[in-house]
Amino acid sequence: MTIVPGALTIEDVSFNIGAARLVDDVSLEVAPGEMVGLLGPNGAGKSTLLRTVYRINRPSEGRVLVDGEDVWKRPSAWVARHVGAVLQDMPAEFPLTVIDIVAMGRSAHKALLEPDTGHDRRLIEAALELLQLAPFAGRPFRTLSGGERQRVLLARALVQQPGILVLDEPTNHLDIHYQLSLLRFIREIGRTVIAALHDLNLAAMFCDRLCLMDRGRVAAIGTPDEVLTPVTMRQVYGIEAHMTRHPATGRIWMMPS
Amino acid sequence: MRASEDAEDQGEPSARREALLTVLRTAPPPRRRGGSPLMMAPAGETADRTRLLALGAGMVAVLLAVSLGGLIVGSVSIPAPTTVAILLHTLSGGWLMAPEWRDAYEIIVVQTRIPRIILAGVVGASLGVSGMVIQAIVRNPLAGPSILGVSSGAATGAVLVMRFGLIFLGAFTLHIAAFVGGLAALTVVFWIARTGGRMTPTRLVLAGIAMSAVLSALTSLLVLTSPDPQLAARVLFWTLGGFGSAQWKLLPIPVIALTLGLAIMLLQARRLNLLMAGDESAVALGLNVEQFRRAMFVLTAALTGITVAVAGVIGFVGLIMPHIVRLLVGADHRRALPAVAVLGASFTIAADLVARSIIAPLELPVGIVTALVGGPFFIWLLRRDARALGVTK
Repeated sequence: MTIVPGALTIEDVSFNIGAARLVDDVSLEVAPGEMVGLLGPNGAGKSTLLRTVYRINRPSEGRVLVDGEDVWKRPSAWVARHVGAVLQDMPAEFPLTVIDIVAMGRSAHKALLEPDTGHDRRLIEAALELLQLAPFAGRPFRTLSGGERQRVLLARALVQQPGILVLDEPTNHLDIHYQLSLLRFIREIGRTVIAALHDLNLAAMFCDRLCLMDRGRVAAIGTPDEVLTPVTMRQVYGIEAHMTRHPATGRIWMMPS
Repeated sequence: MRASEDAEDQGEPSARREALLTVLRTAPPPRRRGGSPLMMAPAGETADRTRLLALGAGMVAVLLAVSLGGLIVGSVSIPAPTTVAILLHTLSGGWLMAPEWRDAYEIIVVQTRIPRIILAGVVGASLGVSGMVIQAIVRNPLAGPSILGVSSGAATGAVLVMRFGLIFLGAFTLHIAAFVGGLAALTVVFWIARTGGRMTPTRLVLAGIAMSAVLSALTSLLVLTSPDPQLAARVLFWTLGGFGSAQWKLLPIPVIALTLGLAIMLLQARRLNLLMAGDESAVALGLNVEQFRRAMFVLTAALTGITVAVAGVIGFVGLIMPHIVRLLVGADHRRALPAVAVLGASFTIAADLVARSIIAPLELPVGIVTALVGGPFFIWLLRRDARALGVTK
């Protein structure tokens, strides 16, 4: 059996807290194997929308479907087997080792009292080696640098073996070297990905499609060329921008002016 | 390191890389039914497992040693060989060791010392596991059983009964009152923490602290306005703890509570681990956090309540022991919970031994001993944590 990329459908989703409408009627389809970047200024509702996918925020209206099933109607362990999330939660309070944290990713696959099997250990070791974490396996998490921590959390999401990865600002606090190698790696593993990103040019470089959000609504959706235009930059970010192309990759490149 | 990464990142994906990616895409083989449900250390290597086994054996040896020490030392001096002989005689149901000792000795050992050590051990183990689980629930390693307000509630309950002479439920009235007081305090803390929907760790801790402060004040008020000058001395037992009331008929409830409680916690050990990852991550990893936290909260509160009801408020055991255990075996609850039970039991038995012998034939409340040892340790922890944070931030 092989883990295949999943399909994610966000269907007319709104999310309110009190009278505030943080996400307003968003629809978005992410096809199996596709990577979609969620863009938008601070407070546009990117994280709030992602939270409806990994079951923190129950949509006030609309549905979130994973492989055709409403995530809010399935048990939380089922969702965890299909959707893995890399968040900004840093478990630094307890002396957990890197391997302790990565092993947590297997929980949703485990019955009561079921021990870690050889398969679990192979997964954990593979994830550690792929993310160049093997030398840190026994180290306490809180002694790691920001970039190393981010890779540990990605390793944990990988051993969860989800068909869909949800990434909330995965490149935060990373230097440019790790930003690139992390995003390249995420493309390489061939899962369906939805990622909130701040860097528009990195997003254009790695994502198949982009979804630009503004004040809880979708302002533009489509290929990077369709979404990153002087008009949307002015509308959403309030900046004047000049669009060009990366000389080597040919991807669209935004230059603020 | 970076150079090699670059080579790997920018070069063609190597065969090794491809193989590893394939591993990550391979679903687990179908679950074998009836396989042995033994608990194993995660991704444990043999060396690691040997070390854990040695540590476990060492902890059990310490427990046996302090228990034996507690049996031998006492206000009535009984020769050590006689004590051991009586113990063997009793354990074997009269089959081993012909009784060549005074009846009084046997009564002291069997009716007083053995139940006292069992009680001290059970209370220490209960406080240790409760403390560990509470720290995971509120995701704060500086929390302890007293943080829930259960301890102070139980003390207030007991003092109320003593102050107004409400002995209406027979010999166990005090214990029942303490348990009810603990649960009442818990209910209020629970209610405060849940106001406005989500029960967050911060709210739980703050509600518990506020509740404890109010209840301690209430207890002091009851004692100070009492016409009975002896009350203050008797209240000390509840506010500082002790095992002087130990007798066989007091043991079944705390023993059953510990056994059940620890069994449930061990079954849920994986989920307890997830709580340490943070609330959002725990949900993303497949845990129903709200519901699980509530269930564990009630379980630890009941265990703490029973502990306080039989032995009063004994501070610092539930706060300190989890730390020591995590230093020794790591934070994974599958190993840390059994370890903290054994170590917690050893600690209270040893503390009781000290409390009984330091001003013999009088006894110190055992809470004084645990606080004198635990307080400085706690301060050391705080300073160490502050330093560690100073380095990473």
